[in-house]
Amino acid sequence: MKSVSLNAIPRALGRRSGAKKLRASGRVPAVIYGKQSQAQNLEVSAKEFGDLIHHSISENLLVDLSVKDDARPKRLALVQEIQHHPLSGHILHVDFHEIAENEKVTVMVPIETAGEPEGVKTEGGVLEHVLFKVKARGLAKDLPESITVDVSHLKIGQAIHLGEIPAPAGVELVGDKGIPVIAVAAPRTEEEEAAEAAEAAAAVPGEVEMLKEKKEEGEETPPAKGAEKASAKGAEKAPVKGAEKAAPGAEKKTEKPGEKKK
Amino acid sequence: MLMPKRVKYRKQMRGRMKGKESRGVEISFGEYGLLAMEPGWVTARQIEAARRTLVHAMKRRGKVWIRIFPDKPYTQKPPETRMGKGKGNVEYWVAVVKPGRVMFEVGGLDEATAREALSLARRKFAIKTKVIARHDVTLGEQA
Repeated sequence: MKSVSLNAIPRALGRRSGAKKLRASGRVPAVIYGKQSQAQNLEVSAKEFGDLIHHSISENLLVDLSVKDDARPKRLALVQEIQHHPLSGHILHVDFHEIAENEKVTVMVPIETAGEPEGVKTEGGVLEHVLFKVKARGLAKDLPESITVDVSHLKIGQAIHLGEIPAPAGVELVGDKGIPVIAVAAPRTEEEEAAEAAEAAAAVPGEVEMLKEKKEEGEETPPAKGAEKASAKGAEKAPVKGAEKAAPGAEKKTEKPGEKKK
Repeated sequence: MLMPKRVKYRKQMRGRMKGKESRGVEISFGEYGLLAMEPGWVTARQIEAARRTLVHAMKRRGKVWIRIFPDKPYTQKPPETRMGKGKGNVEYWVAVVKPGRVMFEVGGLDEATAREALSLARRKFAIKTKVIARHDVTLGEQA
């Protein structure tokens, strides 16, 4: 991973109102932290940083940060996290992780595929990315921006596992070597689709099993008196109340014919 | 259609949909997704219609993930009924969606087909949505 230079200035405005003012003026609040130094609040140009991100393959960036009025001319840092606005996607905040050149770091490297799998081309299978990123550990300068995997030989039911992915020199892929990263699955059959459609048609909105009612049905086998006591206490909730209301109504109905007979 | 198998209470209060979604805001499984841009109730019927559209447009290739579930009962009183006499009957189920929620994801397709399928599916919803991709670093530049 090549390092790119970025300018930053120490941030004076704090808290939410300060951050909002910064964003309104075309700057992004940031922070730098690491083992060597204490955390420091910074601000970077939104355009400058946005261009850097836009021209890189992933959000893994190695930057040579030159902070204004800082004793060190350049501070090597990894972009640890970028917070985006959930709707507009604008960058809200950036975390820089200061590292040493000879220090090993762990980053998530994106996996890219090359070629069209045989199983997809001839048999109509589906290429599945089980993992989109893998954990890689090494010196920052050795870490790749992305790892490209050739998938053209894959047939249906075959997969490329983490252990089969060749890591660049000086980099180690961290994790269980047996985990599938990319696989080719069988296509959906007409039967599966028909079964799904039938399932969807069978569902009726009102008919849902009730957890609470089911319990009470079991408890209240000799019902009427127990239910009346419960209503006097007023402890039970809505569905039960409905049942209670129904019960006395039923009693009245049963009583009335008797009265008439008398 | 999607609906819960069993529930603790049959009917619910309406609730509020303030703020933005904090969970399920990123594409986690597929490569392209449908992002909710405004809050709303998405019915099970709409979800099913969108799913069918996606499956049809994808022509049995690729995979679909539905990231929302309609677990809120929607009740209605029958027409020409006087007020009172308790809450109405459960008519259908809805998913409460807040802005920022990734509702659907697709994967295993080329970009053009995936975008076409998702843009057809987004017409099934009553809320504003946006097609997004995993590889787009900034969501703001999406159409």
